[in-house]
Amino acid sequence: MKKHVLTSLCIMSCATFQLVHAQQISVAGKVTDQNGEALAGITIAIKGTSNSTSSNENGLFTINADPNATLIITAMGYQKQEINLAGRKTVNISLTVDNQSIDEVMVVAYGTVKKSAYTGSAANINYSEEEKDIPVTSFEQALVGKIPGVQINTTSGQAGATSTIRVRGIGSMNASNEPLYVVDGVPVISGNVGQMNAQLAGTTNNIMSTINPSDIESITVLKDAAASSLYGSRAANGVVIITTKTGKSGKPKIDFRTSLGLTPTWATDNYKPGNVQEQSQYYYQIFHDLQTSAGLSNAEANKFAIDRMNSRFGMHGYEFSSDGTGRFDKINIKGKTDGVENRDGKYFDWNDALFRTGQFQTNDLAVSGATEATKYYSSLSYTTDKGRAYTNEYSRIGGRLNFSQKLHEKVEFAANINITHNDKQGFNDTRNTGTNYNYLANNLLFPFYWPTDYKTGEEYTDRYNSLGYNPLYYDKQWENDSKTFRVVAAPSLTVKFLPELTGKTIFSFDNSEVKDHLYYSALHYHTTYGEPANGTVFEYATNHRKLLSSTTLNYNKTFGDHSIDVLGGFEAEKNETNYQYASGSNLPSSALHTVATAGVKDASAYMWGNNMLSVFSKAEYNYANTYFLSGSFRRDGSSRFGPDTRWGNFWSISGAWNLKNEDFLSQVDFVDQLKVKASYGTNGTLAGADYGWRSLAAYGYNYMDQPGGAITTLADKNLKWERSYSFNVGTEFAFLQNRLYGSVEYFSRDSKDLLQDVNISFVTGFSSTLKNVGLINNKGIEISLGGDIIKKENFRWSANVNTSFLKSKVVKLSEGKDITWWDPTGGDSRVQFIYREGADVFSYYVAEWAGVDPSNGNPIWYTNDGTEGDFLHNGRGASNSVADAKQIIAGSPTPKAYGGINTDFEYKGISLGFNFNYKIGGKIFDHGSRDVAEDGYYWERIRSYYAIQESWSPDNPNSLYPRVSGNDPEDGITRSTRHLYDASFIRLKNVNLSYRLPDAVTSKLRLNNLRVFFNGTNLLTASKFKWADPEVNQYGTRGWETPYGKTYTFGLEIGL
Amino acid sequence: MKKKSIFIIALASLTLFSCKDFLDVQPTNSTESSVTIQTLADAKVMTNGLMRNIAGLSYYGRNFMLYADAKGGDLTIASQGRGLDALYVFNHSANNNSYSGFWSEGYNALLQANNLIKSIEKLESEGTNLDFSPYKGQALTLRALIHFDLVRLYGKTYTDDPNSLGVPIVTELLEPSAQPTRSSVKEVYEQIMSDLTQAEALLAKEKTPGYINYYANKAIQARVYLTMADYNKALAAAQEIINDDLYSLYSNTEWVGSWAKEFGNESIFEIALNKDQGDLGASSLGFYYLKSGDTKALGNFIASDYFLTRLGQDEKDVRWGIYTTDELDRQGACYKYVGSVDKSGDGKETFTAVNIKVIRLSEIYLIAAEAALKKSGPDKVAASNYLNQIRKRSPSLALSTAASVNENMILDEKSKELYAEGHRFWDMIRTNKTITFNDEHVGVSLSNREKSIDRTFYKTILPIPIEEINANPAIKDQQNPSY
Repeated sequence: MKKHVLTSLCIMSCATFQLVHAQQISVAGKVTDQNGEALAGITIAIKGTSNSTSSNENGLFTINADPNATLIITAMGYQKQEINLAGRKTVNISLTVDNQSIDEVMVVAYGTVKKSAYTGSAANINYSEEEKDIPVTSFEQALVGKIPGVQINTTSGQAGATSTIRVRGIGSMNASNEPLYVVDGVPVISGNVGQMNAQLAGTTNNIMSTINPSDIESITVLKDAAASSLYGSRAANGVVIITTKTGKSGKPKIDFRTSLGLTPTWATDNYKPGNVQEQSQYYYQIFHDLQTSAGLSNAEANKFAIDRMNSRFGMHGYEFSSDGTGRFDKINIKGKTDGVENRDGKYFDWNDALFRTGQFQTNDLAVSGATEATKYYSSLSYTTDKGRAYTNEYSRIGGRLNFSQKLHEKVEFAANINITHNDKQGFNDTRNTGTNYNYLANNLLFPFYWPTDYKTGEEYTDRYNSLGYNPLYYDKQWENDSKTFRVVAAPSLTVKFLPELTGKTIFSFDNSEVKDHLYYSALHYHTTYGEPANGTVFEYATNHRKLLSSTTLNYNKTFGDHSIDVLGGFEAEKNETNYQYASGSNLPSSALHTVATAGVKDASAYMWGNNMLSVFSKAEYNYANTYFLSGSFRRDGSSRFGPDTRWGNFWSISGAWNLKNEDFLSQVDFVDQLKVKASYGTNGTLAGADYGWRSLAAYGYNYMDQPGGAITTLADKNLKWERSYSFNVGTEFAFLQNRLYGSVEYFSRDSKDLLQDVNISFVTGFSSTLKNVGLINNKGIEISLGGDIIKKENFRWSANVNTSFLKSKVVKLSEGKDITWWDPTGGDSRVQFIYREGADVFSYYVAEWAGVDPSNGNPIWYTNDGTEGDFLHNGRGASNSVADAKQIIAGSPTPKAYGGINTDFEYKGISLGFNFNYKIGGKIFDHGSRDVAEDGYYWERIRSYYAIQESWSPDNPNSLYPRVSGNDPEDGITRSTRHLYDASFIRLKNVNLSYRLPDAVTSKLRLNNLRVFFNGTNLLTASKFKWADPEVNQYGTRGWETPYGKTYTFGLEIGL
Repeated sequence: MKKKSIFIIALASLTLFSCKDFLDVQPTNSTESSVTIQTLADAKVMTNGLMRNIAGLSYYGRNFMLYADAKGGDLTIASQGRGLDALYVFNHSANNNSYSGFWSEGYNALLQANNLIKSIEKLESEGTNLDFSPYKGQALTLRALIHFDLVRLYGKTYTDDPNSLGVPIVTELLEPSAQPTRSSVKEVYEQIMSDLTQAEALLAKEKTPGYINYYANKAIQARVYLTMADYNKALAAAQEIINDDLYSLYSNTEWVGSWAKEFGNESIFEIALNKDQGDLGASSLGFYYLKSGDTKALGNFIASDYFLTRLGQDEKDVRWGIYTTDELDRQGACYKYVGSVDKSGDGKETFTAVNIKVIRLSEIYLIAAEAALKKSGPDKVAASNYLNQIRKRSPSLALSTAASVNENMILDEKSKELYAEGHRFWDMIRTNKTITFNDEHVGVSLSNREKSIDRTFYKTILPIPIEEINANPAIKDQQNPSY
């Protein structure tokens, strides 16, 4: 009813005084969005004429038109509409938001661009719309499967773990493969910070989690040289540009969001152990075999094995006997009656004790608004993530202020300030300590082991006669904790010297203080820091400071059909890390975990860093929005190289042709957009080490309490930039009013002069030296296809699939020589890789397993040494001895294709979305099975259920694994193809369901917005690899890191 | 007004970074390697670094010390898989358990020694008036010792075949591209003797605890000559140390307590380990000899039955005082490297930071005894006298006489006295004896060697590590036979 009143008012106020042509009528109308809100500034044109008008601030318009004319309504961000008047004098036009709007504005290097005018390759994610409901402490995980050409991996399911982003493959061996991260126009530090990774390998502290995901407006990933080479020397691995929210004009908005995520279970099986009976049988077999293979009788072997079990588990209240004396006879387990507790038939569930229902909670409050002169967005948020592992917790509290003020008609001052504190504790993913629960519960702690003594009922403090410890006791004897306090303040000034000429200067101060704390009590088993040292405490303070000044001048002018845009700039950057360390041992009191009280103290402090100077420029030209040409040049100097090589030049050229704007296509209705583009250019990668070009002597090799020094590196003075040369060609298209849209791109990137640790003769004193020698090529095709399958007023269904095909090959190595290297994950030496010319960049280098001899259960190995081996197996030289098996290249973790499938349904206020991520091809190296599915090398450990089921026996001759042996068989622990599995999987990464209450309801509540949502993460997984989670790190290895869980999140969003 | 101030701010932000040396960022915890030695203090610092280097885990800090005992038949193991058992069972190949740390650490230590020698020679040629002799003398002596250790690990023993392949000799600072090949055993020994004799004149004849002095140099000469079967020179070197009287033997009452002290009267060359300065904690040599379960030790190595029988010839042998019961209930756990059976250490905060006694006077007496016995024109009286100085540590045993003294008596005494001090294997190989292992406690059958071996067994020398062969193709054809 209200609307009618407004329309009538409009007609009365405007139309009455209009001159009306003959045969023409005056038409009045109102333009609103889907929610009925008035839209101002919308163009309303009459088809076939040059007559047009636009809506006023109340969404009202009038126009003179032929009674049978067709109105064309176009607006950026909305779907185009055509309305036939058919004699009507008033029309109500409701525009629907075009989610797949092709001509969105993206933030790119040093500016913004309309997508249709962009010549480079970039993907843009509207984070604040699409990803906001996903429960993550840092944004990376929310992007999994969303961006073609971009792989996102997180090594661990721990709260607060670091993710890696790989854009278009692997371009470096020794320097970084990390993209450059740019937040609000300023390059920032990324990755793992602090010292915990060095102290407790396998634990990381993600600096990116200091950015509250709720503050993120959008993310752009720059992929090709045209997009990224303006960032020059650091952009060879792509650039991730994060833009945080700004205030929008209108009255002040207050938004509150709260959500609770629960993680009651893992997403998949994780090396589920065999049941108690099965494990006992396996254990018995090992010792039985040990004796019989030494020529002893069954009876002797049986006695030995049963004695062994009784001595091992008797102290925990169990006794063992067997039905017969044979290897496969049944073991009987009985509880002892001489303790306070009779454990007959009762076993301890370590998984249950060490893991809990994870809880993720986040609360965000944001106030934002804008006037003509001032824009502001401020937020305060508090997030806690209590991980599945019962000691693992992450919390973050942070605030942000993004503020801008016009000081003068031509001068704007802005400042973005972010202050965050986060705290991560109780984490450890290493394999070799008593504090990785996944490893303990599934490999070391038999269900016969109890945390309490069966005789006294008291807490069990001793070692379990194996590598296992009682974690419930020892967790009280140690602490680890990493706190990060980060302040980023980035003031900037923009001056419009002329309408076409804009200058901008940003100064950024980015300061992160990371404090790591590690404590072992005097009762802790740690062989150096625990009991022998009478307790030890370590405090590490690492201060990362980045100062950056960036000044640009931009000239932008249109002459008729010609537009030019020229940018020049200067940048200087100073990176400094100050490190301080103090430790104390011989602690006087178990209550005081401080260095201050220690009997013996130790300290160290020093700093390192690097500086960079750059000049850069860019020029863009376009003719009639149809032909685009663009070029860039940057010159960087870095202190990471010697004086002769420290300057590098980086450039790109690119072009695009917008065919839709050509005459022959402009009238073709079913084509909404068609563009082709191509680019070529260079980027660089900095050396990983600050001082890699200097031959150095280091100190600290103290001897007899006096300083000692030693030469530590043999360096090549002329180390230079790694360079990448990228070629990109692609097309973007949309047909049938966006019923089908998408893009296809092909790229090829040669990364040259790669820094390599070249093996040199040890006789020189060192095993390797860093040189610029290697060449890697990455090429691939990225396809993104989407469509609005159903588009009705109340119901919309859209879907989108993206697939990336990638090949990463080593083209050249120093003198063609292979280089072997180990998976660095967690310090576990999980598997060896080899760089070999012509092979995949990540190539597993392992022995080749040929299976099990069904007649006797012996292992068979292919010798791969060019001989016929001891015998032929499948026509190839083979042996029963693992020592004869030569290593070969056996596949790669790099998938043939990967990507995501996303689909959304919207019905009135309800929206439902599914996001799948998938991987096809590639191999997983299952390091975990070297522990839980070997053949008896580790005498006294837990085996997984599948190892038990799949071991050879006369009843199971066609088994996966050989006969169990007590003679330390190295077959199962030797890294071989036995541990390789097809890595293909598809996972329902996210399900989102939300309901936005109708305006009628919210306005009664005097609210702007009221929305409830649900998100489910990792709910379904279909995988070729069954034993554990198939979503693994970039090296394709699965070990004892904390797995992913299934998370159910419920949330509420209120806007005032 | 406003505009002006804005431009000033913009300009200021530019000038913040415009200092001249902006792109020259120096490390704060290291120096350029070419300028490490300018002063005597610098030479001392680099000498300290060299000492720490040879105190590393792969070398004198642990593995090299264990090598000769584990392989010489004095040790056994109660279970496989506790660590370094590959040494005992000879499970090594060029790819697997190659103990390449001996090779890499050895040559890294040689680089540090050569840096000292070359830097000092450069300063000397420039006419420095500083006296670097003690540092140059130490570096030369250590260069000889390292070559000596490497050539024994990787080459046949001198008396077996001096013309067979030894190891590459390094006396220069090499470029990264260098690909040296192996010299003959004989050439290596010539280099060793040349360095030792050059160094001799540069070293002080007084005690320099923790460092090489004149007598340490002489003691190494005695060892080297004995290995070369040059008994006259071995005897001369040993006698000079004995006769100069700077060191004296422990009395029977002092012997056990000597392990709980640093730098005792017998200590001619001792590498110091302090907390956080080479102390390997639970990875230390001492830990590898602890009884299984003591301080959560794994019980890696225990004495073989053969050794216990040998020492058991006299229940009153004073040396029993450093042994305690092992997991097999024998007196087979040796606590030399934790100070005492009570793990008192040698006076530092942690009992694992116990100095490594590389050369003790007892060894010199036994070298003198063997050299006197074997030299052309044997002096059996002297041999017996030297032996008895050590043999009297078993008070119930009859002393040797000129009539009874023989090689086995001397070698057995050496085993008893220097158990766990890194000698047995070298003595057995040098004298071409058969080594028999006490495998009965291991539990599993061993496949990598026979119960008894001698120096014809190819695994008595180590393979050149595969990493070296890959990086240095010139050495590929020089791999030790059968590897």
